[in-house]
Amino acid sequence: MSGRRVLITGVGSYLGTLLATRLERDPEVEAIVGLDTRKPRRTLERTKLIHADIRDPGIAPLVADAEVDTVVHNSIVRQPGPGMSARAMHDINVIGSLQLLSACGQAPSIKAIVIRGSAGIYGAEPHAPQFFGEEMTRMFPLRTRFQRDVAEIENYFETYSRRHPEITCTMLRYQPAIGPSLATQVTRYLTQPACPTYLGFDPRIQLVHESDALDSLVAAIKRPVRGAVNVAARGTIGLSRMIRMAHRPLLPIAGPLFGPLTAAGRRLGLDAYSDDFRRLLRYGRGVDITRLEHEVGHRPRYSTAEALEDWVAAA
Amino acid sequence: MSDPAALAFMRRLREGLDSGLELPDALTRGATALPREARDTLERALRRLAGDHEDDEWGFDEDFADLVEPFFGFLYDRWWRVRVEGAHRVPAHGRALLVSNHAGILPWDATMISVALLREHPLPRHPRFLVLNWAFDLPWISAFIRRVGGVVASPYNALRLLEQDQLVAVFPEGVKGTGKPFGERYRLQRFGRGGFVEIALRASAPIVPVAVVGSEEIYPKLADVPALARVIGAPFFPVTPTFPWLGPLGVVPLPSKWRIEFCDPIDTAHYGPDAANDRGLVLELTEQVRQTVQQSVYANLVCRGSAFV
Repeated sequence: MSGRRVLITGVGSYLGTLLATRLERDPEVEAIVGLDTRKPRRTLERTKLIHADIRDPGIAPLVADAEVDTVVHNSIVRQPGPGMSARAMHDINVIGSLQLLSACGQAPSIKAIVIRGSAGIYGAEPHAPQFFGEEMTRMFPLRTRFQRDVAEIENYFETYSRRHPEITCTMLRYQPAIGPSLATQVTRYLTQPACPTYLGFDPRIQLVHESDALDSLVAAIKRPVRGAVNVAARGTIGLSRMIRMAHRPLLPIAGPLFGPLTAAGRRLGLDAYSDDFRRLLRYGRGVDITRLEHEVGHRPRYSTAEALEDWVAAA
Repeated sequence: MSDPAALAFMRRLREGLDSGLELPDALTRGATALPREARDTLERALRRLAGDHEDDEWGFDEDFADLVEPFFGFLYDRWWRVRVEGAHRVPAHGRALLVSNHAGILPWDATMISVALLREHPLPRHPRFLVLNWAFDLPWISAFIRRVGGVVASPYNALRLLEQDQLVAVFPEGVKGTGKPFGERYRLQRFGRGGFVEIALRASAPIVPVAVVGSEEIYPKLADVPALARVIGAPFFPVTPTFPWLGPLGVVPLPSKWRIEFCDPIDTAHYGPDAANDRGLVLELTEQVRQTVQQSVYANLVCRGSAFV
């Protein structure tokens, strides 16, 4: 079998760069193409970099020229970083995915698309089952903008994969990632002077360790399966225990005051909480990872508690 | 705790603090002077504060459940004077689905079934129970329920718990059971659409019908105020002889006399998991379980005699 040729969007993200590095060391992979407007986090040896914006229709010929068999869509933004508006995030997520798909349609060499999506599509609900299975996306209304965006993206890929049965689309639904080298909403939350919580609530939180996040992505490239797959660490952990393990004081705030107070904190330069993150802090979310373990074939090495311990030990 | 032990504890604590130890370490050191039981409790409490306690993926925390057990034990022994029949009929290991009648507005019946199994069963274990979804929107209550083994009433949760070989208690009457007026006490409501039978079949778990007598008298519901229920988002707003007239005191349940009977398990394994799709069989088994619970409720009502003395 000839070597695999893989295109990675968002190669400038931490996980994107790490994925490229991993694939570079893999003898089965013949060529790696990285697409991003940002530079990779470290020097890549044999990855061909394309400096392009995923929202730009001009990427179509670039993708076709790369003659790849697998596309890894890794530029879905989970939370707007500093200086990024909610609008820009929506554009990158929805319009970016749309442009990528239309580019894929003009590249006959593509056999598989792997998307690093979000478990945020399930939302965070008081009445939810403790562990969402992949088929349970329609149990509750889509409440936040990010949720609606993710649902829209998933919908594009679903439709695309129905129209192109010869292409395998794998939608990986990631729980929030944590790890010594990552800076995410969760790590920012846990490094504040005090962690605001909803008074009287102790939700179950499920994370994924950065190494499991990467390994799941690699496993999905090696063995693409059709449809959605949840990616998370084993087990869940109570939010209050999580905060104690991070050696931070809890700051319980009564439900109706939580929004206004954290918004005021934002003016003072503290971290802003998205609607999704606020709901997560109130109700938590767990996903079932049977499919990841048995069909994709990656058994997460870290439980949620172990992933957190690893992060705490490194901090 | 005897006084000399307490004094020795305080002395060692002070010595520890004087020699520059942090408070938790000093407490641990002082604890060596205490009787074993008190030491265990203190060490457990310290571990909890450090965020180092074991709970499972459902949020069930066995240490916490053991800590609150004395309170439920008091209700069980003194307040409701619970008598139990047939605890040995509950499988000692492996999965099983306990199906019980439901009454009394708050899920006291679930906690009493728990205590009954912990006290009377030769191989005690904590059952998990499915709790009305509404409770998980409430502060404190939601966190508490999860810690003692409650989960959101979802078939997916029940199935996953059974597949983990747990003992799962369900109350298929749901709100219809807890919200029925006092005049209809001990008349079982419809058992949903038989979802619990489907789950038992799919997991090949035996069904153990459970009859609880006494729970209907703890909050005799005389009337309902739907307008107030809508305001607080509850399924109903009960008016009992004490609630809401006595304010928070109205939540104190009346001390009725209780009986709990665990009936013979109904085996489901021989039908095979595919039988879960057989509507006819599911409805038939649902009705069989309901009949068993209803008959057992009537029989135990007779055995119990008067409701309060």
